[in-house]
Amino acid sequence: MHASIGMVEVEGIAGIIVAADAAVKSADVELLGWDSIGGFTTVFFSGSISDVDAALKSGAAAAREVVEHVVAAPVTQPQPACLEFVTNPVNKEAVTKSGALGIVETRGYGAHVYGDDEMVKTAAVDVVHVITVHNRVVCSLVQGDVGAVREAIARVQTRLRGYEHLMCTAVLPQPRPEVLQAFAVRTGGGSGV
Amino acid sequence: MSKAIGVLETRGMASLLGATDAMLKAADVCVTGRHGIGSGWVTVVVEGDVAAVQTAIAIGRAQAQRHGELIVAEVIARPETRAQDAMPHAVASAEVEIDQRALGLLETQGLAPLIAGADAMAKAADVEVCGWAFIGGALCHVLVRGDVAAVQTAIETGRRAAEKVGTVYATLVLPQPIAGVAPLLPLTPQSTGGRTGALGVVEVIGYAAVVAVADAMVKAAEVDIQRLSIGSGGRISALAVGSLDDVQAAVQAGREMAGQVGGLDGVALVSRPDVATMSCFVSVLEEVRQGGARRAMGLIETRSTVALVRAVDQMLKSADVSYEGSYKVGYFLTASIVRGDVGAVRVAIDAGAQEAAKHGELVAAHVIPQLYEEVERRLPHQ
Repeated sequence: MHASIGMVEVEGIAGIIVAADAAVKSADVELLGWDSIGGFTTVFFSGSISDVDAALKSGAAAAREVVEHVVAAPVTQPQPACLEFVTNPVNKEAVTKSGALGIVETRGYGAHVYGDDEMVKTAAVDVVHVITVHNRVVCSLVQGDVGAVREAIARVQTRLRGYEHLMCTAVLPQPRPEVLQAFAVRTGGGSGV
Repeated sequence: MSKAIGVLETRGMASLLGATDAMLKAADVCVTGRHGIGSGWVTVVVEGDVAAVQTAIAIGRAQAQRHGELIVAEVIARPETRAQDAMPHAVASAEVEIDQRALGLLETQGLAPLIAGADAMAKAADVEVCGWAFIGGALCHVLVRGDVAAVQTAIETGRRAAEKVGTVYATLVLPQPIAGVAPLLPLTPQSTGGRTGALGVVEVIGYAAVVAVADAMVKAAEVDIQRLSIGSGGRISALAVGSLDDVQAAVQAGREMAGQVGGLDGVALVSRPDVATMSCFVSVLEEVRQGGARRAMGLIETRSTVALVRAVDQMLKSADVSYEGSYKVGYFLTASIVRGDVGAVRVAIDAGAQEAAKHGELVAAHVIPQLYEEVERRLPHQ
């Protein structure tokens, strides 16, 4: 039984990846997983009431640096039914690569076909997952050394300059393994229409 | 040797299909990928020599702009396989056979105008109704095949019939489609429909609204709710069949209930629906579930997971109700369902609605004291 669960909801998915990493680094909370409702996504984590409050604060602050729409709230003494909303639980068995994580989020899929091609050609990064979040939001995740990821993200920013549907980019220099297990493995979460 | 690829993204299937047909005819390229990401945005990926792909994309860009909204048209001369392999767009070999017949496509916003249009097409000319699909953002399309003149007549009639009911987004007639466009086409339905007096469609926004509407329809007249058809963009339709009088009365009751719960999107009444229409849209669900516990049902629907989780938690803490499930219909909408005694459900829904409104947008909060078993068995959330 969890004492409290914390939820951070954003538009797109880049915001909750950043929020999840900040939350697990700032307090003793366990990352549970995430849920998508067609364009908005929510990340869930659990812990003691004060840990969850601290994690919510830093998670929401981190998310606000990349996206505008951020809602954060805890549920203290949650009913078991609340956990049924975690439709994409963290896959604790999943093997993930080590290294920095780069995130590119746009409205539209076509931009990723050539944007990801540019990133792989620019620096030694691998495309680990392309997530279709619905409501035309698509997010590409790349991994590699911090320097390589920064180069790749800078390159794709230049390439997509003028493309009005670029939503945001972010670099996590040292993401926590559970964050990678939740988002950067090519299973679950977001198929096409 | 690796080949060049071209990527074309548009809003709406009519413009993508028209552009792809022109691309494949203009240059030696083939379709290797397709992907839909909701809101009606669809992408096709073609492969060939650099010059062929460049020609194809130039043609595709012009065609897509002519038929509808172009999002992206790009050529990648030497694609990196490490990047392309991570992409979710690859298609297997074609699932749909393409023959020499002409092809017509009617694209509408919402299912009610689509069904009205499809039925008018089947009745107007000698065409085969070959399947339909949703591509997000409430856009859906239906495909007909036949002689050129028959398809043209059908599409013109279908457009007029659909416009009476709702919004037509686009139409397309390809007099001689090229075989390579097959990966973009919807699958042909396998079921066979029966004859019936009338088909009524009430399309609403949100799950709570459709449950309330379906319940009102079966209580108002002797109709059978054949199906709750989940669309996209939050649209969901209740399809009822019966005699014309009954369906008329049921549709009227459904329309009134939708007005109360909020979110009426479209209404269509088709008398003597064609067998093709029935087999395409009204395939009866095979599985018949056990009737529920015949307890009152409470529905709460929001546009935010945070608000909904808080509301569910509050409902379960405030009254003796049990959580039955949740259902997502797109367009940010999710509904949660609780069951219990009428009094307990009312208290819980009041408390849940208050809590949800504090954290996000509350779309609907509705109590059904007693749900008919016919409706109960068709509900997809359990």
